[in-house]
Amino acid sequence: MKDLKHLIYFENLLQDAQNELVTKAVEEGKYALGYNCFYIPEVLLNLPGCFSSRLRAPRCSSSDVANYYMTTRNCPYVRSILERAIEGGYNYLSALFGAESCAAMERMEEHFELLHPVKNDKFFVTIMDPPMRGDKTNLDYYKVELKKNLIDPLRENLGVDVSEEAMRQAIAEHNELCRVVTEIGNFRKLPNPPITGYEFHVIQLVTEVCPHYLILPYLKETLEELKTREPEPEFPFRAKLVVVGSEVDDPEFTKLIETCGAMVVADRYCFGSFPGREQIEIHQGETAFEAICRHYLYWSQCARFMDGEKIDQRHREVEYLVKEFGADGVIFENMKFCEFWSYEKILASHIFTNELHIPCCTIEKEYALGSVGQLRTRFQAFIESLEIKTIQGGA
Amino acid sequence: MKKGLKLSSKVLSRLLIAGLIGFVTTFTVYMFNLENKLIYYVIRPFLNKHYDSQVRDRRIV
Amino acid sequence: MKITDKLIASIDKKLERFDPLWRAEHGQGGQRSRYYDKTGIEKYREWRGVKDTMYDYSIWLKNLGSMGLMVARNPVRVVKGIWEYRWMGSYLGTFIFINRLYEGYRGDELRVAHMGMHQIVASLTRLIGRVLANDKRLGGGPLSDTIVPMDEVIPPLFMKGFKGLTGIPLQLLPEFIICDIDQQLPPHYIDVAESFGLAADVCSRCAVETGVAFDDAFPIFGKAFLTTNMPCNASECTSMFQRRRVDLPDMPLTFAMQHNTKEGNEYSVQILKDAIDFVEEQYGVKYDWDNLFKYAKELNEQNTIEMEKWEFFKTPYSPLSGISETMYKLYEWAAANGTEHRFTKNDRKVIKIMRKCYKEKYLPFGGKTRHRAFMWGPSAVYYTDMPTWCQNCWGITLVLNMDSTMGHNMISTEDPDQAIKDLARMSEKAVMRHHAVGGWENVNALWAWAKSFNCDMILFNDNIACKGMNGVHAVMEEQARELGLHFIFIEHDLEDNRSCPRRDMRKCVNNYMSIVLNEEPLDPTLVDFDDSEAY
Repeated sequence: MKDLKHLIYFENLLQDAQNELVTKAVEEGKYALGYNCFYIPEVLLNLPGCFSSRLRAPRCSSSDVANYYMTTRNCPYVRSILERAIEGGYNYLSALFGAESCAAMERMEEHFELLHPVKNDKFFVTIMDPPMRGDKTNLDYYKVELKKNLIDPLRENLGVDVSEEAMRQAIAEHNELCRVVTEIGNFRKLPNPPITGYEFHVIQLVTEVCPHYLILPYLKETLEELKTREPEPEFPFRAKLVVVGSEVDDPEFTKLIETCGAMVVADRYCFGSFPGREQIEIHQGETAFEAICRHYLYWSQCARFMDGEKIDQRHREVEYLVKEFGADGVIFENMKFCEFWSYEKILASHIFTNELHIPCCTIEKEYALGSVGQLRTRFQAFIESLEIKTIQGGA
Repeated sequence: MKKGLKLSSKVLSRLLIAGLIGFVTTFTVYMFNLENKLIYYVIRPFLNKHYDSQVRDRRIV
Repeated sequence: MKITDKLIASIDKKLERFDPLWRAEHGQGGQRSRYYDKTGIEKYREWRGVKDTMYDYSIWLKNLGSMGLMVARNPVRVVKGIWEYRWMGSYLGTFIFINRLYEGYRGDELRVAHMGMHQIVASLTRLIGRVLANDKRLGGGPLSDTIVPMDEVIPPLFMKGFKGLTGIPLQLLPEFIICDIDQQLPPHYIDVAESFGLAADVCSRCAVETGVAFDDAFPIFGKAFLTTNMPCNASECTSMFQRRRVDLPDMPLTFAMQHNTKEGNEYSVQILKDAIDFVEEQYGVKYDWDNLFKYAKELNEQNTIEMEKWEFFKTPYSPLSGISETMYKLYEWAAANGTEHRFTKNDRKVIKIMRKCYKEKYLPFGGKTRHRAFMWGPSAVYYTDMPTWCQNCWGITLVLNMDSTMGHNMISTEDPDQAIKDLARMSEKAVMRHHAVGGWENVNALWAWAKSFNCDMILFNDNIACKGMNGVHAVMEEQARELGLHFIFIEHDLEDNRSCPRRDMRKCVNNYMSIVLNEEPLDPTLVDFDDSEAY
């Protein structure tokens, strides 16, 4: 296929947390608001005068100082983020909105307060207590926590307009971005898609780390380009896969799978587009804020939800993606030392394989994609097994 | 009366002897840690063999 | 001096060479000389002098009686239980466990320790009997359908509002208690869990629970299951497996993780209200506040006495410290939690002894204490006697343990609205939760605790799989340095003795005491030894 016009530009935007679009927005007087987790609604960080910046630590090859603070026995994602903060990589931030989604994440966010690594006078940190069930009790608590830890501090510390109108505007802009990204992603449903999983991963990531209003024109142009982009004469991959699991913010991971011969057609992991790029609907009689809370609680697929309905929803969603995107199987990954996804991995792989009859390969990964030999072998073997299955007629 | 006294002293002395034997036995078991030695060296190895040979309904869910 | 005292004193003098404390003092061996290598099996029990040996013996008989009673009540079920469950076999190691906990104890410290332990034995044997008698796997019983299986971290007092129902913490017998008694058991269940793909780096306590579920080794009873998110991430995860294996209607009690806030407390209150609705619906009963109040009074009295105990802990004259304090408090609070009057009665007796000791300026452990330590972080359950070892080897008295600071708030005994708020607060501050989760200020409270209890040393349990505590590693160490406190990280793996054996844990303390403080051990036989094959 012909290269996408903006792909290299997008790739370059992913080389640093503070990329050129982030710098531009900050210079225009916008507040950069950092977050790590889906529990913090991205849309609320894009209220007028602000923009969201989901924290990554690109090219982080070692986290020595963070290891000292958090030990090497903790999640490599959070250690890498802390390391990057200590290196001064997030000095553009005006705030970090944290969530006690997991203990490691919470401790890392606390270090943003304890060590003062972000050199910005305005900078502050809040950490919310996110819900663990999908019922009304938890929806109410979610609202209370978001108001206390996000809405009120935005208004009080930064003077941000958090009115109903401002939220509706933020939702409209957010929906526009989601519509474009979803349309781009939907090309992956085609038998011979004009986009690769890697390209989509790059596109999805730039939407999470760049100011929306600055990245959107490029995305729209890319969408138009894809409508006429000629795919390869024949589908160049041997299988189609859905990647499921914990945090993946390095498109090289998707590239690794694709170089092994399988296209990644759907991304159901933290930093992926499922969930994340669903449009927010405001129901009759609901305020914008209520709609946002309901939307994020419903769509969150986090492995920490404990009630049966949410647990089943996680698995149903993957089943849906496999069918909708015509995937042959699932790669289930978890970050090393991640307790939630480590447990969920064995439950889900059992359910996919034995109850839903979806082939599943489980792997554990580091944050920085260093030695990929083992992973490559696993992926190749899995793809081969899928091929054999296809040859044998799915038997 | 005398017969009764004799009987009760006999019962008492038997109780005392039984108590003494009981004390000597249990105190010996206690002091030489015999019950724990029996458990550690005999009973648990036997039980462990049994547990290891059990067929359990081992599955995820 | 009475003639009997004279006689006892002369026997003690004659037999003192058998006393391991005397032997250690006189360079003729010590506590460890009494053991068969590696096994943790004593060749003979500790000679503590006539009075204390006879006291120890009498308590041994008493505990034996409690166990005998359990068997006598339902001998078939007990035998069936031992035959069915691997974890039941481990309970046979109870006396070995008690022996190692109270090694070196004399006088009043021995008495209060045994008084507490006997309540635990009596309560536990009754619970084991009840569980086995109603376990549907073994044939069921009259209470099988009125028992509510619940997570071990949910305070049992809450369940007392359901008159006619019995809340039994499901993991209490197969995991929570038994892992303290037998370090060889948890690896079996961990291996079962890992054989299904569970990562080796997750919290081993939760890995064990998961292994018990996979191994089909939970007793079966009840009509609905209460799980919980407490205390931490891995326990949330293992609950998700247990609910599927238990296969009953379930409700997760997801208490606020950030539990210092008004909003968090209000949320936890609602969680309890939801739980009441759930149990009422599943079991067809009504929550009875009066019944709750009855037991809340017990807990309140226990807590009141506990507060008084704390005042004595602050002095050098407390006979209650180390593992005797920790073990008792843990069981009394987490397992009994006001539901058993025996603990209130025991507390009344113990506090009298403590008052007397304070009055008489009684120095426990022969006055050999050199350091007063606060133990912070979740302790290794496979090395429950570590505080005893610290005392005997280096003269470090563990004044208080982090988990002993849990939920001491009073529960209203008149107003249901207030009572549920109090219950929520108490639940939020449960075992391993009060300080280990919920934000920096909770873990950082250590320094205030240590200062208030006049400690000069912190023993920081460094559970290698605890992501939350690992996350504050360096900042804690840096603060200790600033405050001039002795600070020792003790690496452990909570329930998996293979990754950090007891011997390595001891090494952490040995290194600090000998290299940093340049101190000599009280008992050289205890410095380094192999107990890898011990229970």
